[in-house]
Amino acid sequence: MHTLIGEIIESRTAEFVAEAIRYDQVPAYGSFVRVQDGNLRVYGIVSGAYTGSLDGVSKAKAFFKSIDELKMEQPQIFELLRTEFSCVVVGYAEDGRYHPYYPPIHLSLHLPVEKADDDEILTISQHLGFLEKTLNSPAGNGEELTAAAIRMAARFHPDPREYIIRAGRELLKMLNYDTQRLKSILERVDIA
Amino acid sequence: MRGTILRGSLSGGLEVRLDIGENIEEVKVGTFCVVEGRTHDFFSMVVDEDIEAANPKAFYETLSDNSLLNEVVRGTGIIDKVKIQPMIAIRREDGKVQPVKSIPSYLSRVREAREEDVFKIFGRPDRTHFHVGSPLDMDHIPVCIDLKKFIERSNGIFGKSGTGKTFYTRIMLCGMIKSGLCNVLVFDMHSEYGWEGEDEDETRKKAKGLKQLFGSKVAIFTLDPESSRNRGVHPDFVVEIPYRSIEAEDIILVREELNLNPTALEVIYVLQKHLGQDWLITFLNMDAFAIKDFADRTGAHEGALQAFQRKLFQLQRLPFIKENPADDAVERIMQYLDSGMNVVLEFGHQRSMLAYMLVANILTRRIHELYVKRSEKALGGMQGNNTPLVIVIEEAHKFLNPELSRQTIFGMIAREMRKYNVTLLVVDQRPSGIDPEVLSQLGTKIVALLTEEKDIESVLCGVNNARMLRNVLASLDTKQQAIIMGHAVPMPVVIKTRTYDETFYKEITKDEDGTFNRGLMSGPKQAFGSSAGASETDEPPPGKEFEDLMKELYGI
Ligand SMILES: Nc1ncnc2c1ncn2[C@@H]1O[C@H](COP(=O)(O)OP(=O)(O)OP(=O)(O)O)[C@@H](O)[C@H]1O
Ligand SMILES: [Mg+2]
Repeated sequence: MHTLIGEIIESRTAEFVAEAIRYDQVPAYGSFVRVQDGNLRVYGIVSGAYTGSLDGVSKAKAFFKSIDELKMEQPQIFELLRTEFSCVVVGYAEDGRYHPYYPPIHLSLHLPVEKADDDEILTISQHLGFLEKTLNSPAGNGEELTAAAIRMAARFHPDPREYIIRAGRELLKMLNYDTQRLKSILERVDIA
Repeated sequence: MRGTILRGSLSGGLEVRLDIGENIEEVKVGTFCVVEGRTHDFFSMVVDEDIEAANPKAFYETLSDNSLLNEVVRGTGIIDKVKIQPMIAIRREDGKVQPVKSIPSYLSRVREAREEDVFKIFGRPDRTHFHVGSPLDMDHIPVCIDLKKFIERSNGIFGKSGTGKTFYTRIMLCGMIKSGLCNVLVFDMHSEYGWEGEDEDETRKKAKGLKQLFGSKVAIFTLDPESSRNRGVHPDFVVEIPYRSIEAEDIILVREELNLNPTALEVIYVLQKHLGQDWLITFLNMDAFAIKDFADRTGAHEGALQAFQRKLFQLQRLPFIKENPADDAVERIMQYLDSGMNVVLEFGHQRSMLAYMLVANILTRRIHELYVKRSEKALGGMQGNNTPLVIVIEEAHKFLNPELSRQTIFGMIAREMRKYNVTLLVVDQRPSGIDPEVLSQLGTKIVALLTEEKDIESVLCGVNNARMLRNVLASLDTKQQAIIMGHAVPMPVVIKTRTYDETFYKEITKDEDGTFNRGLMSGPKQAFGSSAGASETDEPPPGKEFEDLMKELYGI
């Protein structure tokens, strides 16, 4: 299926890392992904990405040329690149029911990672519990990730502004009513 | 108004967090609301409002440039809070009404009261439940006063000048008269209750008096027949006060008006002792020699006697005080009352405090004596008319201030409650001038806007949760809003009072079955015939002799 975006190469309860199918095809930061593991369908939010050399040891080298020139002159260097992205686990579905918490077992390696469908995103983001996972993202970029996830999710709701306000209220409580932090998050959720 | 119980205590009231989306600006202090607890409904009143931040820092951050943020924070980080005071509780299981002895549990839902709640607490309008107004923002839903309870005790109507005391008094008088539960006697200082009064309202201009509404159920007595006539009123009786009915107590009551010094009291006692019942007129008729002679005989101070006499001459300027009045006003009043009628005594131009206090005190003292005798007879098993009497006095602080209230008849009536079937309806704009002990004896208080701290304090004295009601009192509208508290209502309630207008006239003159009852009794004669405890005497019906009297007095 064309929704395939990567394959799990590292897995923890709270987080997994996948290698992107191509070095230049990464899911958007803060977007929703899914992994089918047996009869569990686990959902995550993309929390970061990294592109580097294939062997993971040597470094890419600067050529000071445009990408188009490089593709013409040095096509082989792109073959040596790989991209991986990490995702925070937000919940899972079993027998058609969504649970907004970690699955009983962490994901197996080498499972395919796919983009989540629109209505899946709607369901997942309805449960505002995912905000707690993004806020405490192991990568330490919680506020940025939360803003991105809200931005992503809001688009799937009929009244995005209303959704953002609802999410904001939930966040404020999670932030122990620290309006300053809430402000810094909401400022990154600019909806036109 | 919708919200949930946030916190609170039995002693300090409850705090309600308004639901997101509710507009606190629309929630008025004084609003009647209901807390739906787990097993009880708590009927409460909004007494205060404020804004609270879960984290006080939130207040100080400029939020205004981000509308999204403002909207999120409003209702979450910063909440609109309404303070309510539960006044009465009803157990849902059996509908039992109880005083508040517990508080609703956390997160209980709070909502505005509905029609059925108002009826549950205050009853539906009927003969003894009188519709006086509506809860705030619930126009057309009647709040009733239990008239039976109302007349069991003395009551007060208070409020700053111009807040509608006279109108509330009219409304209450209408309710009482219509119910037939009692008779009323109004000492009508400004002649506004009998036939007609002023109305500041541009279109109405005039307010109908009781006579216009209740016809033969009401008699107008006057102290100033000419003024009555000039206003187109045909009084039923002209009141004259004999000198001999003026007692030491009366003089003491008006000592400020007469500008008497403290020694006057002793002089009165000497005079009374030596001159007997006619002391006043005899004394007033003494010339300088007679006074000297009297002083020599009795050892009284001649100078003091002279000074006292000069001051008492002010009484001679009151035209209604007579040596030998044509008729006895008290007997007349009693006759009317016994025939089931109500009496309004107009003062006409005699509206000085001196005239008002003197007359009210003299008449009330004697009337009260008669009621005392009656109830003693009734106790002895004798039948008689024992319809309660409600006496209306204005400027009540003049009669009931702390110095006088123990000595005057009004203080006594206020204190003894309904023992003798006589109670007061006191009307005053300065309740702080009234003896606190008397105030605390009042059964029901109807209080319009008061702004003086000490007035507020004094009307709330002895009221449960007084502290809570303070705000409510101070934020009433300047007109047609009042808080009713006490014996005749199960819980204090803020009402928009009924408007005294054509609609009211129609409703109050309508019988329960829809017919008009005014004029059913065509005159006092018939009234006498139909009343149970009518006087035994075969006197001509009172009212007849008005023409005669006018002839006698003015030669017309
Ligand atoms: N229930 C009411 N129905 C209609 N009008 C009212 C009512 N209450 C007050 N008003 C309006 O308010 C005005 C003032 O009321 P009112 O004369 O009763 O005041 P008050 O308290 O007796 O004043 P004061 O102390 O000067 O005697 C009235 O003329 C009338 O226009
Ligand atoms: Mg008045």
